[in-house]
Amino acid sequence: MTTYQFFTTAWTWNSIVLILSAVALVGYFLAFGQRGRPLYFAAAAVVFLLALISPFSALANGYLFSAHMVQHILLVLIVPALLVLSLPQSFSLRSPITHPLIGWIAGVGAMWLWHAPTLCNAAATSRTVSAIQTTSLLIMGSLFWWQVLAPREEQRLSPLAGIIYLFTACTACSVLGIILTFAPVSICPVYQHPVDRLGILSTIRGDWGLTSDRDQQIGGLLMWVPMCAIYATAILAQLARWHSSPEPEQSNA
Amino acid sequence: MNGTTTIAEFRDAILDPAKRAHYRLAWLSTVDHKRIGVLYMLTGLFFFIVGGVEALFIRLQLAVPNNHLLHPDTFNKLFTLHGTTMIFLVAMPLLFGFVNYVLPLQIGARDMAFPRLNAFGFWCQPFGGILLHFSILAGGAPAVGWFSYAPLSETPYSSTPGIDYWAIAIFVLGLGTISFAVNTITTVISCRGPGMTMRRLPLFTWMNFINSFLILIALPVLNAGLAMILIDRQLEGHFFLPFRGGSAVLWQHIFWAFGHPEVYIVVLPAFGMVSEIIPVFSRKPIFGYEFVAASTVAIVVLSSLVWGHHMFTVGMGRPMDLFFIITSMLIAIPTGVKVLNWSATMFGGRIRFDVPMLFCIAFLIQFTFAGLTGISHASAALDWQTKNSYFLVGHFHFVFVGAIVFAMLGALPYWFPKMSGRMMSESLGRWTFWLWVIGFNMTFIIQHVLGLYGMPRRIFTYPDIPGWGWMNMLSTIGVFFMSAGSLVLLWNVAHSLFRGRVAGDNPWNAWTLEWATTSPPQHENFVALPPIHSRRPLWDVANPDRPDPVVGDDQVVLPDHNKTGILAFIFSEVGFFGTLILAYLYFYAHPQAGPGPKGLDVPRTLIFSVCLFASSFTFWRSEVALTKQRRGSMLGWLGLTIALGGVFLVGQVNEYWKLFQTGVDLSTNMFSTTFFTLTGFHGLHVLIGLIVLLIFLWVAWEGDFASSRPGSAFKAAGYYWHFVDVVWVFVLLTVYILPLMR
Repeated sequence: MTTYQFFTTAWTWNSIVLILSAVALVGYFLAFGQRGRPLYFAAAAVVFLLALISPFSALANGYLFSAHMVQHILLVLIVPALLVLSLPQSFSLRSPITHPLIGWIAGVGAMWLWHAPTLCNAAATSRTVSAIQTTSLLIMGSLFWWQVLAPREEQRLSPLAGIIYLFTACTACSVLGIILTFAPVSICPVYQHPVDRLGILSTIRGDWGLTSDRDQQIGGLLMWVPMCAIYATAILAQLARWHSSPEPEQSNA
Repeated sequence: MNGTTTIAEFRDAILDPAKRAHYRLAWLSTVDHKRIGVLYMLTGLFFFIVGGVEALFIRLQLAVPNNHLLHPDTFNKLFTLHGTTMIFLVAMPLLFGFVNYVLPLQIGARDMAFPRLNAFGFWCQPFGGILLHFSILAGGAPAVGWFSYAPLSETPYSSTPGIDYWAIAIFVLGLGTISFAVNTITTVISCRGPGMTMRRLPLFTWMNFINSFLILIALPVLNAGLAMILIDRQLEGHFFLPFRGGSAVLWQHIFWAFGHPEVYIVVLPAFGMVSEIIPVFSRKPIFGYEFVAASTVAIVVLSSLVWGHHMFTVGMGRPMDLFFIITSMLIAIPTGVKVLNWSATMFGGRIRFDVPMLFCIAFLIQFTFAGLTGISHASAALDWQTKNSYFLVGHFHFVFVGAIVFAMLGALPYWFPKMSGRMMSESLGRWTFWLWVIGFNMTFIIQHVLGLYGMPRRIFTYPDIPGWGWMNMLSTIGVFFMSAGSLVLLWNVAHSLFRGRVAGDNPWNAWTLEWATTSPPQHENFVALPPIHSRRPLWDVANPDRPDPVVGDDQVVLPDHNKTGILAFIFSEVGFFGTLILAYLYFYAHPQAGPGPKGLDVPRTLIFSVCLFASSFTFWRSEVALTKQRRGSMLGWLGLTIALGGVFLVGQVNEYWKLFQTGVDLSTNMFSTTFFTLTGFHGLHVLIGLIVLLIFLWVAWEGDFASSRPGSAFKAAGYYWHFVDVVWVFVLLTVYILPLMR
């Protein structure tokens, strides 16, 4: 299969994902109607679908660790951030799970936990585990972003605390990225010898030049660098928020 | 007799106040931030002369082809000492001297948060410098470049003690730098004057505050690397010895993970100086304060992600190269933002071309040039061609001299009136300026061309290739201009100190708080602070009818300085242990023959670990007892904490002993090298923690806590103790538990 053929045909029209997305869209409008920020929600839905039905998903499903990492980043950082942003101003959540420590552990744990070799392997081969993974990533990512993107100002961390929160999370994920990049052994052995369901393996290894070592290195670098860039962007957003915070009730840094 | 007097007597027995006040000891025993700042600068100036003379000899040797003025080995030693001296003993002490003097004044503080720690940090500098240069007498200076690449720096290839002195010296300097950064962070967080909220900090203070975090990120990584190379050399470890299973590339990763942030560590204070001087001499507030401030944070975050661009020629592989290319290009954005902001500040201003401003303008042009050649190195393909050539030498000298030294040459006449009470001579200053501008550009612009013509770095001489001779001669002639400029500068400082025009409080009509006090400031810095509502309090005082817009509200939150200080220190320790743990994992992934983690006695270690973890609980009980003023209970729990920590240490010694009995020591294989290093450094930290707790036990026994202060210092010591336990959690997981899961 050539690259062109692959990218045109390898769309997985996963009915469950499509139905769930449709249900979520309807649910969102029923729950919030005009009060919400539907553009963010639509963006979240689009990214979610791209992550799960596009050819990237086919690659992540047992072929390429790096594609899996792209999917992972989209599901744990981008989609949840957009979801939290789509909530209306009036939305409020009072629960022990909104403690900053829980949010931090959820966000960092989502990275570390699912890259334990056993779990990583299982998620790449079993559809059930993969579904559990997707759900948990969305939930853990949302808990993480809640601390800095919650709809109400008073439910977010103060900007300076937010910077510490994001910086430490960035460091914790970078360490995992560094380990993945330099690890001489496969973290997710499934990707070393993929079962060639789609007949694309020769294209990947040949035309794309992605050997399994190089593939894992790219995966690690993706977690290390672009992921950190996302956190860095969020840190700058916190600084902007700090400098533009209205007076006088806002300077409780 | 209560405890307080005992401790005071103990202190006075060493040095009584009368002796301390005597002029001969006043400077040696000072803990005043202003005097320490001056001492830092004098140290930096002294080593600037040393490093400058070293540079002069390097250039004299290279002035003509086939020169035999210096022996090749002497040349290697000279450029190693020159690089190390200029970075660690000139740029850092000089910049930290300015920070030490100016930063507390700018935020309306009486002194740094920890004056004695400040003195400790300073004294590390001359001692580090002496250690480094003592190697010349002790059998051979280091001759491997300032980056000390392994395996050249290992015993089989460098058998003289030069590298050992180099590593210990840098380690000592690193400790001083870390203590300086901890102090700066704590001073800014905990010692600001009324109204000086974090959003109103002058940019010089803000940048050095942020920079201190970068120091705490980067320096511990280097310290861990230095510890490893010393272990290799002194205890026959194999971290960086490829033929024993070590990795020479690992040293490069560690060194540049420090080395690239280091560039920003010395350039950010320079940025801070320029951000103060340009607005004052353009008679305008800085353009886009928020952008300048935020881009500093962006630089700090990004700078830890770009070190790989120093290693394109190592062969890290296409993916690594690609990612480091992207991040290296990205970091040009926040730096470019700053250049634009400084230019925009000058745009439309009534610019006064006094000497400080002249240097800042030269800084701006030269730094932009340095940035452009710098970003060309972000492209790996180009980097492969220019890496080890004089193009690179030209580039980084444009950063270090063209930007950093020029910023300091501008900052000296700017703050000299505050430090001495007298102005520096304007005409002599112009002589220095032009001699430096001509000399600097003559020396270093041509080096770019030389590099493109193919002249490699680190060669002691070269054949008579067409063009190389005259270009090198031109480069050498430039050094004499800079030397002449420096002599004029020294004369200017000496002369102005006694004969300069009296400055008054605020000779430049500047706006930050250091100009609100006398020149030089009295011991306590301020009699009274002006009201602070904006970023330019003295502008508001001078122009009550059109003050600056108020920034935020006036409420200043000052967290406890002991806790802040220890948290900053712990932050740096995370980097140290993080590096050691990553190095352990790196070699764990390549198992070797011989002893391995499977041979460790996990159940016994778990028992001793429980003791250590329990000690965190008992310490917490002791803290509770202290809050409730129950002295007996507090002493009991504290004693139990120390006992539990001691039991853990005994357990570790026992484990070591058993390993030694079976013939396993640090030099056996990679596992033993990394195992003993990691657990050994943790054990050392437990030991230090125990000593601290014993001191507290002694103080509490004497009854000191019973009186006024229920000890935030005690809580701070607790943070450290808990941290040591948390580190053990990670060590336990990686060393003992991880192998069980395989």
